[in-house]
Amino acid sequence: MSDGLSEDGSDINQEDEDVMTPAELIAKLEEAWLNEKFSPELLENKSEVVECVMEQLTHMEANLQRVKKGDAKASIHRMEIDRIRYVLSSYLRSRLQKIEKYFPHVLEKEKSREMGDASLLSPEEFAFAKEYYANTETYLKAMALKRMPPNLQTIDMLKAVPEPCLDSFVFLRVKERQENILVEPETDDQREYVVDLEEGSQHLMRYRTIAPLVSTGAVQLI
Amino acid sequence: MDPSEVEFIAEKEVVQIIPNFSLDKIYLIGGDLGPFNPGLPVSVPVWLALNLKQRQKCSIVPPEWMDIDKLEEMRELERKEDAFTPVPSPYYMELTKLLLNHSSDNIPKADEIRTLVKDIWDTRIAKLRLSADSFINQQEAHAKLDNLTLMEINTIRAFLLDSLNCMYKLRSNLQPGSTKGQFSDY
Amino acid sequence: MFGEKALELVRELHRMSDGQLPAFNEDGVRQVLQEMEALFEQNQADVNEAKVEGRSELIPSIKLRHCCLLRNQRCLTAYLYDRLLRIRALRWEYGSVLPPNIRFHMSAEELQWFSQYKKSLATFMKSLGNGEGLDITQDTKPPKSLYIQVRCVKDHGELEIDDGTVILLKRNSQHFLPRWKCEQLIRQGVLEHVVS
Repeated sequence: MSDGLSEDGSDINQEDEDVMTPAELIAKLEEAWLNEKFSPELLENKSEVVECVMEQLTHMEANLQRVKKGDAKASIHRMEIDRIRYVLSSYLRSRLQKIEKYFPHVLEKEKSREMGDASLLSPEEFAFAKEYYANTETYLKAMALKRMPPNLQTIDMLKAVPEPCLDSFVFLRVKERQENILVEPETDDQREYVVDLEEGSQHLMRYRTIAPLVSTGAVQLI
Repeated sequence: MDPSEVEFIAEKEVVQIIPNFSLDKIYLIGGDLGPFNPGLPVSVPVWLALNLKQRQKCSIVPPEWMDIDKLEEMRELERKEDAFTPVPSPYYMELTKLLLNHSSDNIPKADEIRTLVKDIWDTRIAKLRLSADSFINQQEAHAKLDNLTLMEINTIRAFLLDSLNCMYKLRSNLQPGSTKGQFSDY
Repeated sequence: MFGEKALELVRELHRMSDGQLPAFNEDGVRQVLQEMEALFEQNQADVNEAKVEGRSELIPSIKLRHCCLLRNQRCLTAYLYDRLLRIRALRWEYGSVLPPNIRFHMSAEELQWFSQYKKSLATFMKSLGNGEGLDITQDTKPPKSLYIQVRCVKDHGELEIDDGTVILLKRNSQHFLPRWKCEQLIRQGVLEHVVS
């Protein structure tokens, strides 16, 4: 067995001084993956997690290149790499699908973002979204709009492409106790009421109500 | 979510194996494993346990709850109570399936265990259907779902969420001018 | 009736199940655009008459025609856009080279949109992880075990596995290969998974 595989690579220092072990990093990725899978809207990007995980994978793959064929440890490392790469790809796919599905809204939200707010899209996603928008607009113009009467040659993409439905219900598990979460009534003859979300408890409710708790990490979508 | 993904998550759970080989400690990205010594129990994630078992490199120690007496007790309680009783593992169904399919020779009375777990599952899913039905009928806005496992939630996820969204659309479309998304809305 | 042809385009796609792409209905599209042109010309004429000669009784028909125009615009763009979504899905299913029978169903402009989409996606995937690159069209199912048994359905030539070994994919040969190496070849119909 080469020495390369004996390093656990616990050197992920982030700029803001919080040191994450590789195991914590993978846990972060898995949280982000499930949240992204189940939230109706696109969540803030987690570029730094993606980059660190990729670094870990590349590092491990490089070490494996130096290992003899049939090494017992190598096959176990490879299985782990496969599992992590699956979560990573699935996470990035979920995001890309939402970017494509809601592209005008995603770009609009990114544009209207206040200075200092976390950005919705990673730089790569932003570039992709802009190209997707331009490509689709160019196509619709060439195929239809330009060939229509002069007063019908434009289309408002924000109105034409459906928005994410924030009123969808989601399943969630509470990670940090929350008090007085307002539950809005479903029908006119119901009244609004508040619930406390105990740590570890699970709930079914509208995404809109708990959206801020997803981004702070106080709840996990399941 | 595809059931294979729930199974994938369940495979992170830790089980004990008894290896028949020696190997030094392994430093995986997700944490350290081993060392492995023949005959000495060691904890590993289920995905590794199953792979080693497939290659006949270990036997798997069934989790403590995978036991006829304990499961019979659970089944009775589950049938008696209206609410969902606590389960021995958040992945009891997936683990039963995985371990019984790949390692039944290491599990005493495997067939009885399969039947018991299936009974518990069926009872719980019947309760779940009833609660989903009443949630929709009462037009509730919030439900507490303690003790439900991911696989259980997953069996009603698509149906329940689609129904709720449909009802929401029907209600909100009563107000004129609330339609959005022309492309998909023909 | 006005708008009927546009609605027929939408219905045409609606009847198809999700993954299917029917032939581009050039005729249908042209007919909708012709109807729109006719509606617009009639409206121009009526608007002039209403203005110049004060014939306000023409206004309701002008409004009706305008509604038809808007509906035609909406249905036609819905038709074109829904097709793009189906074409997009094909990239994920077949990889960057589409089978000829599918390309045959696409218009020249759709092929152009597709090739730009492929480019954007490739650029995105190459830039992931500080330029490290990650092909996210692979790994579409959770990994089950490291290797799977596959049978070669047609001659494909050589395939290099990550440890550097090269194997020859010859018709009817069987191999024990890393699962992720096979995924796309299985979808392309080169390999089939042998389930024991």
